[in-house]
Amino acid sequence: MLRTYDRFVAPPRDTATSNAGDGVIAAKDRPSNLTSASDQEVVAWAVRGHEPAFRELVRRYERPVFSLLYRMVRDRALAEDLAQETFIKVLNGLKSYRPEFKFSSWIFKVANNVAIDQLRKRGVDTVSMDGAPDAKTPDARAATALQLSGHGENPLQEAEARELGTAIEQAIGRLRPEYRSCIVLRHVEGHSYEEIAQMLDLPLGTVKTYIHRARNELRGYLEDRRA
Amino acid sequence: MSEPLHQHLNPDEIELWALGLLPAARALHLARCAACLTAAERERQLFRELVQLERFAPSAGFAERVMAGVKILTAKTVNDGL
Repeated sequence: MLRTYDRFVAPPRDTATSNAGDGVIAAKDRPSNLTSASDQEVVAWAVRGHEPAFRELVRRYERPVFSLLYRMVRDRALAEDLAQETFIKVLNGLKSYRPEFKFSSWIFKVANNVAIDQLRKRGVDTVSMDGAPDAKTPDARAATALQLSGHGENPLQEAEARELGTAIEQAIGRLRPEYRSCIVLRHVEGHSYEEIAQMLDLPLGTVKTYIHRARNELRGYLEDRRA
Repeated sequence: MSEPLHQHLNPDEIELWALGLLPAARALHLARCAACLTAAERERQLFRELVQLERFAPSAGFAERVMAGVKILTAKTVNDGL
């Protein structure tokens, strides 16, 4: 179940260059309906300096990109900064986009790299909901546990507790980051194994292994919780 | 090696079944194998939970913050060497 728009119809190459508040594209040559255009068409318009085309790409991908990043770093404010960084990198680099690849693959690839870099900087491999696995005492585990209770928190923390507090979200939060991105890209965003391998620069077999392991772990967590 | 009819479903085949794409020959095994059917139904339940996950929205004004960092190149800016 892919939620992208990938027909390829190139915009006209030569247009008059009267600047009508929209880069240099004459009114008669502007796309009449960006929302029904394919990703490649919208990118082609953006490359030509059509400002609404940039906004259309943000509109299409802000939720999926932000959701992936939020599930990766499990911090709303940080995920938003990383989503912003992702979009700015992608939109400022549109000229290097190769239309034989899906735009969605490209933007998720950048988002995943941004998230992995951030997690490496923080030295965090996993975000445990129950506290650091190497904690020696119950107090130490409690001190390092991710708090999702919603009590006495600011509105942002309360939103995080509400959004990431369900059993399935908590189970995803326990996965290794590489499993997390694979499972979200496959089962939430609906990408094929081949696309995920391309996005994450991983061999196809590794992607399959990660996804199968992630599913086993998720089922295990969910069954433990229900038991 | 077991014959296809007796061979248990692998994870890829279970996924195909959940998507309604399992070949008939393997579906025959599933119909006769309680262990595979239980595993497949558990997997399908997980897929359903995953696909229903919310797509979170960033806070208001996100697009504006992005656009503030985007350099829109036009023929004029290119010609001007900007």
